[in-house]
Amino acid sequence: MENIAQLMHGFAVAATPMHIALMVAGVLLGILVGVLPGLGAPNGVSLLLPLTFTMDPVSAIILLTSMYWGALFGGSTTSILFNIPGEPSSVATTFDGYPMAQAGRATEALSFAFLSAGFGALVGVVTITLLSGFVQSFALKFSSPEFFAVYFLAFASFVGLGGAPVMKTIVSIAIGFALAAVGMDSVSGSLRLTYGFDQLIAGVSFLVAVIGLFGLGELILTIEEGMHLKGVAARVRPRDVFRAMAEMPRHWATLLRSAAVGVWMGITPGGPTAASFMSYGLGKRFSRYRAGYGKGEPDGVIAPETADHSAGSAAMLPMLALGIPGSATAAVMLGGLMIWGLNPGPMLFVERPDFVWGLIASMYLGNLLAVALVLSTVPLFASILRIPFAIIGPVIVVVCFVGAYTVGARGFDLWLALGFGAVGFLFKKLDYPIAPLILAMVIGDKAEDAFRQSLIMSKGSLAIFWSNGLVATLMSLAFVLLLWPLIARAAGAVLRRPG
Amino acid sequence: MDRPVITRRAAELGFAAMTGAFGLVIAWGAREFGVGWSPSGPEPGTFPFYIGALIAAASLGNAAVALGRDPRFAAQFLSRAQLGRVAAFALPIVVFVLLALWLGLYVATALYLFFAMRAQGGYSTPHALAVGVGLPVALYLLLEKGFQTPLLKGPLEAALGL
Repeated sequence: MENIAQLMHGFAVAATPMHIALMVAGVLLGILVGVLPGLGAPNGVSLLLPLTFTMDPVSAIILLTSMYWGALFGGSTTSILFNIPGEPSSVATTFDGYPMAQAGRATEALSFAFLSAGFGALVGVVTITLLSGFVQSFALKFSSPEFFAVYFLAFASFVGLGGAPVMKTIVSIAIGFALAAVGMDSVSGSLRLTYGFDQLIAGVSFLVAVIGLFGLGELILTIEEGMHLKGVAARVRPRDVFRAMAEMPRHWATLLRSAAVGVWMGITPGGPTAASFMSYGLGKRFSRYRAGYGKGEPDGVIAPETADHSAGSAAMLPMLALGIPGSATAAVMLGGLMIWGLNPGPMLFVERPDFVWGLIASMYLGNLLAVALVLSTVPLFASILRIPFAIIGPVIVVVCFVGAYTVGARGFDLWLALGFGAVGFLFKKLDYPIAPLILAMVIGDKAEDAFRQSLIMSKGSLAIFWSNGLVATLMSLAFVLLLWPLIARAAGAVLRRPG
Repeated sequence: MDRPVITRRAAELGFAAMTGAFGLVIAWGAREFGVGWSPSGPEPGTFPFYIGALIAAASLGNAAVALGRDPRFAAQFLSRAQLGRVAAFALPIVVFVLLALWLGLYVATALYLFFAMRAQGGYSTPHALAVGVGLPVALYLLLEKGFQTPLLKGPLEAALGL
């Protein structure tokens, strides 16, 4: 019950006129970046982050998380109306959302998407509220070996459950770690891997990487595929919204199943994208409405949307309590926390309860606001997509480079952003996952510190990672996940054997 | 005709070579900082050295997979038309970065947007001018006035005393 009291205190922090105004601004900006091609939640947050350096951390995180909610909603809007997922995590929403829109049920599809997204986010936030005390007391037992084991677990789950080719995931993670190592070594204080370039002394900013990899890379991909916009006109009719609302309870089984999948995938870093696909897949197999999946079935919109948003919000729990982000966007925010001078991890709850609970309370308020705002502004934002790409494309390019420059006022970052843009395009084309690279860049130094401090404690023996029950369990679990593709293949071979 | 210029296999191999080279550069660079054990724990180069080696090894793995018989790798990676579109979009961006470092971000933005709309988008000069001048002005008001965040400036701003 202590959590409830803390939450009430959080509402007092979050519900000031200033913070509500920031939420509205954040959600609207978020919908905008979600709708625009090439801009999504991770780089939207990256672009905004440098502007928050001088803000109070509570206000800054409220602005950024609200932008995240808005971007998730914006991504679903374009999936349904244009068959273009604004975010990777809303790809599964196109499967049934776009057919519904084509059949003249666009408003209904959007309402189902927004309402189930709101429900999913709510489940995610309630989970955070209930579990944070527990996770915090659990995490206070952690020392360096446990922290390294948790980081290792996070990356192992990307390799085992991410769905991308295993070796490509490993390359992606390791490149992120390598980039994180450039510049100042946080243990010894010496400079390393600068190869004589003064520009590398400050290191490679993960924000510039996100802007290039996600923003510019995505734009080049859009160009390469040729922009085909066949939008379905959207006018939100209140009658359809209410009809969708009345129909929602009939989908309770899908809502609960999808929210559970989302919360699980958000806390273990599977991320919203994996959650939405998995939830859609489960719905297709088990839902009462499975026959209509793929042909414009509301249940097929509800399943991915609920999971997407519950994963998105649940990803905040490991970010705050352990310092491990559950998604690329959470990774960027984690980096923001460190830049604002906060120390993510269990001590954050003790040192800055106003920040943590203000954020959690703002997640309740922000999501409610986001549902209301997105329903009322869809026609406006849909019309943005009618601006020809010859204008909007170059404008987004400029915004990306301006954002890259504001990170550290370095001209060199413009070249870095350009390089990351090219790499991002190739990553996407060749099925290399980008999110693990970002995660590794953000927590690379912390993971390395934990590893080195563990070895200092044990005088160089790796046995320290199996020295007590907790760390041994975490490490073993990580190895199971790491080898999961092999285990699954072996199990499949055994099961397929006749007799 | 939409002929393939690069196969998927060539692209996979080329990119694996790039990541592999990156891994080797990291591992080689890390050796300078010591990759063994010192009285104060692992030396600073240890972790990057093994990370670099891991990148190189996994890149070899990716190259080996791409050399396999999977028919997906024989498919095209980029067609001539796609390559043309990408080049037409990406080359002006490179010029934009060069201009930005020389003339500042505001002037480069104006020139880049004007070019993209006028020459590539087929818009009339007044339209292209409106966007080309409008966006830098909007950025200036938002960033320098609103958020006190200065952008890269060049000779024009100096002449105007901004």
